Amino acid sequence: MTMPLLKVERLRKSFGDHEVLSGIDLSVNEGDVTCIVGPSGSGKSTLLRCLNHLEKPTGGAIFLQGEPVGVRWRGDRLYEMSFNEMARQRQKMGMVFQGFHLFPHKTALQNITEAPIIVKGTPRHQAEAEGMALLEKVGMPDRAHYYPRQLSGGQQQRVAIARSLAMKPALLLFDEPTSALDPELVGEVLAAMRQLAEEGMTMLVVTHEMLFARDVADHLIFMEGGVIVEQGNPREIMTSPRHERTREFLARVLPQAV
Amino acid sequence: MSRPDIHDVTPVPVRRYGQQFGAVVLIVFALLFAQNLATNQNIQWPVVAQYMFAPSILSGLGMTILLTVLAMVIGLSIGVVLAIMRLSDSRVFQGAAWAWIWFFRGVPPLVQLIFWYNLALLYPDLSIGIPFGPKLFIWDTNAVITPFSAAILGLAFTEAAYAAEMIRAGIQAVSGGQVEASATLGMSRSQTLRRIVLPQALRIVIPPIGNDTISMLKFTSLVSVLALPDLLFSAQMVYARTYQTIPLLMVATIWYLVLTTVLTFAEHAIEHRLSEGSPPSKRSFQKRLFDMRPFRRQKEFSA
Ligand SMILES: Nc1ncnc2c1ncn2[C@@H]1O[C@H](COP(=O)(O)OP(=O)(O)OP(=O)(O)O)[C@@H](O)[C@H]1O
Ligand SMILES: [Mg+2]
Repeated sequence: MTMPLLKVERLRKSFGDHEVLSGIDLSVNEGDVTCIVGPSGSGKSTLLRCLNHLEKPTGGAIFLQGEPVGVRWRGDRLYEMSFNEMARQRQKMGMVFQGFHLFPHKTALQNITEAPIIVKGTPRHQAEAEGMALLEKVGMPDRAHYYPRQLSGGQQQRVAIARSLAMKPALLLFDEPTSALDPELVGEVLAAMRQLAEEGMTMLVVTHEMLFARDVADHLIFMEGGVIVEQGNPREIMTSPRHERTREFLARVLPQAV
Repeated sequence: MSRPDIHDVTPVPVRRYGQQFGAVVLIVFALLFAQNLATNQNIQWPVVAQYMFAPSILSGLGMTILLTVLAMVIGLSIGVVLAIMRLSDSRVFQGAAWAWIWFFRGVPPLVQLIFWYNLALLYPDLSIGIPFGPKLFIWDTNAVITPFSAAILGLAFTEAAYAAEMIRAGIQAVSGGQVEASATLGMSRSQTLRRIVLPQALRIVIPPIGNDTISMLKFTSLVSVLALPDLLFSAQMVYARTYQTIPLLMVATIWYLVLTTVLTFAEHAIEHRLSEGSPPSKRSFQKRLFDMRPFRRQKEFSA
């Protein structure tokens, strides 16, 4: 049994005295697609944001490729990492946001090439060639020189995915990547994600798209009230959930056809 | 009485009698003023023309431009630092920036210029050394503080205080998602600030910086109290000798107007360039509220 790519142990997070995550344990194997589902307010976004330390966890440990995230041993003492030390680990965990967060003052291609050029020192012509290849992969090579405001929501999200891929992360986090999109634009983003999954990208996806979870995910996690209630094979959980709370949630969100 | 078919006629445009009357009055005043400017012998246009490009006036003009540029560059640089201090989570940095802004916004620039110029009365020498310990370098204050350096200090420090507040507002207007996106791409703090946050903040801040530059150009005329030969002081020097007060003030006025006009155009050009990628303005309907073209044809219907 090989070491999991990402391992989370007893992760806790409170805002003030409001505990949002109450001890999360999970692991993600290389090449796996893991979907996280659960009702609003159950702590899904907070979990993702703790993984790359956009929020500082209150307790527990996170390991990426066996290395503790956000902290560092020196002798037998554990030290917090600074923002800039964290940057190296954040590179390995790309993130795609519900609200895209493209850089509005840069074209689609510049959005993609910016980080490779300034963070990794990739030569511009090489970054641009790779950026064009990524745009092709998400199906919009003809929009390279458009600014984000000139793109539809679905196109913006596909550029955002390409932007994350440009840093060649080991793991890609998605926080409800299609929730801000008009229904007819959801499909194109899911198709791009499905293609990534087929190419073996390791992905951790918070989503309300149950069909995507069923068809693409290798592993499904159901969260409620800051804990993982149930996890396992997506089809098994959807057809025969073991917990009453999972059953209730699925009854609310599952399209009848499943 | 038979009406024509509605599709065959153009409606009579809205009449704007009030605005038409107002426009006529304004035009008459403008003509009177122009005629007066042209014919008033006291202006002495030939003298104006003679001094317009005189070497002393042109070097004064150069000094005014130099002061404006230096004061703005130094002021904006300090302003960026102050803005970042204000936004830091350290109370000490916040407090220091707040104190700077409080002081330099509160004291009139003219008072500051005179104060800086007389710094030697407060501190006869300036030194760099170890706090509470020995001094390593010592300068005579009178050698360091010239009219020029006093002017730069007073103008730049005041500008820094105003710029800090503008830049802080600009930075705060950039959404937090931008910083998060940059962080997840592995950018460091300074990379995020320089490449993502400040360029976006700058766009928001360009119009007020343009205004400040125009104000600064005019504020530089205060340095004439320090006998620093800027545009105004150079003009004063000439009329102190020749008593041609009005013509020389006209020379200075025309040059100031030329400079502010150039700055206004430059600002529009920069604003236009930076607006690439920003959403199109939705103000065209709002403009109708102030539609004041009294003799306008209503083109919408003639199409
Ligand atoms: N910065 C914050 N400060 C205080 N409370 C927060 C903060 N962020 C999240 N919370 C709280 O944590 C809880 C979980 O929020 P979270 O955004 O993780 O839920 P979620 O599962 O992603 O929900 P949704 O499906 O609506 O996105 C909520 O009760 C929320 O109010
Ligand atoms: Mg969420």
